[in-house]
Amino acid sequence: MPLLEVDRVDVFYGDFQAISGVSLSLSAGEVLALIGANGAGKTTLLRAVTGLLAPRAGRIRFDGDDVTGLPAEALARRGVAMVPEGRMLFPSLTVEENLQMGTLTRRRGPWTLDAVYAVFPVLRDLRQRNAMQLSGGQQQMVAIGRALLGNPRLLICDELSLGLAPLVVEEIYRTFERIRGSDLSIVLVEQDVARACAVSDQVTCLLKGRVMLQGASQGITLPQVTAAYFGE
Amino acid sequence: MDWLSTLINGLLLGGLYALFGLGLALVFGVMRVVNLAHGEFIVLGAYAGFFLVGWFSTVPVWAMLIPVVLIGYAFGWLLQATLLNRAVRTGNVLTPLMLTFGLSVLLRNGMVELFGADSRAVDAGALGSASMDLLGLSVGVYPVLMLLLALALFASLQWVLRHTEFGRTVRATADFPDVVRLMGVKPERVFCQVMGLAAAFAMGAGYLLAQRTLFTPFSGVERMLVAFEVVIIGGLGSFWGAVAGGLVLGVAQLFGQRLDSNAGSLYAHLLFLVTLMVRPKGLAGGRA
Repeated sequence: MPLLEVDRVDVFYGDFQAISGVSLSLSAGEVLALIGANGAGKTTLLRAVTGLLAPRAGRIRFDGDDVTGLPAEALARRGVAMVPEGRMLFPSLTVEENLQMGTLTRRRGPWTLDAVYAVFPVLRDLRQRNAMQLSGGQQQMVAIGRALLGNPRLLICDELSLGLAPLVVEEIYRTFERIRGSDLSIVLVEQDVARACAVSDQVTCLLKGRVMLQGASQGITLPQVTAAYFGE
Repeated sequence: MDWLSTLINGLLLGGLYALFGLGLALVFGVMRVVNLAHGEFIVLGAYAGFFLVGWFSTVPVWAMLIPVVLIGYAFGWLLQATLLNRAVRTGNVLTPLMLTFGLSVLLRNGMVELFGADSRAVDAGALGSASMDLLGLSVGVYPVLMLLLALALFASLQWVLRHTEFGRTVRATADFPDVVRLMGVKPERVFCQVMGLAAAFAMGAGYLLAQRTLFTPFSGVERMLVAFEVVIIGGLGSFWGAVAGGLVLGVAQLFGQRLDSNAGSLYAHLLFLVTLMVRPKGLAGGRA
């Protein structure tokens, strides 16, 4: 049984339809890369999956339950976590307080403050700092750690590499391999198509709110991706 | 020596004023809502205490602060849950402003209808007239207790916001209400708790002030003006700024009344004006 099933979902902003009939399916432990140009609807789709936006049509199932239209806070408690685009750390909180916010899902599991500090040792030394005083890469670590502390079953990462130097991106993705536990499923939005294919099991490419290409990451060729990405 | 006693009495009055501002600052800081009914909350606290004291004459007057504060919390929580959350959800800053304005009119006229327009006061009893010796001056025991209480409330609220999970959640919700939802927190619930606290502080302070000055259903307007001035003199969003703002305002008012017994709170308002000109972001300003 898939952990996440998105079934012919339509999402609107007012009268503007941002997502049309998108379906996808993700098993436990799988990584799905979501690619597409700016404005293709990637973030909108993620907002629908996390419950921040309610789809106007279609169903979303999580762990076998129909969760369509459930609010984000309910989905978070069921195990959907998100590293939002632009990180969205709380500026009034210290690094450690930002991390502790993740525990409010009240879910038990392998992720504790110590486990997060073990993956990102630099954060332990910075834990009393204000979150805004950190570098972009360190802030991204806090955002990932905050999501992990909710002990999610599905981790959604929106543009982890946005605004980060290439070396820092490398570092983030290296830890990514350690985070990929046995059971954690991941949906990943990434601008770097080659990287997206390399770290994922399956790829979905959106164009103007529709699925243009979907399949196992191994079998997808660059010309296919280029055609789907630009709609040629 | 008389001036010193005016100064001390001004500080004592200022402690109460600071409490007025606290609820207003808290609600604005977390929800970005200016609660125009805050003054009416303060007067409601005075009436709640007045009637409780009348009904349960065996309970000491000071102890009635506890039920008044609890009623305040419940009142604020319910108001937020039933009405204000709907207005906040519209995302339009004017909606909650209009709603609280309407609420203030309703509450004011409701109080006239129910309680009449007569001036009332709560008699603080023997404790109210007791005085003690401070630096060779005779100072009322009750005002001193009130100032200490106000400072203790400020310190505990500050501590709760800094060091507890609830405080973290409140601060995070103030930053990004949508992002806390991703952590399983319902922002509307946090708003209910914050409005509960704000109303509890307002009604508690209103009850305490009712033991010093007369009140009518229309007193809320003047009380809210004080609350606004406290918050703005102190610097928006700063709690200790609000304490300082309250104390400064209390002192200015009593000094003004000494210089000119007909002045009322004119000098406090003048001080407010000067503060706006000299330090537009308030005493603790900087973070705007």
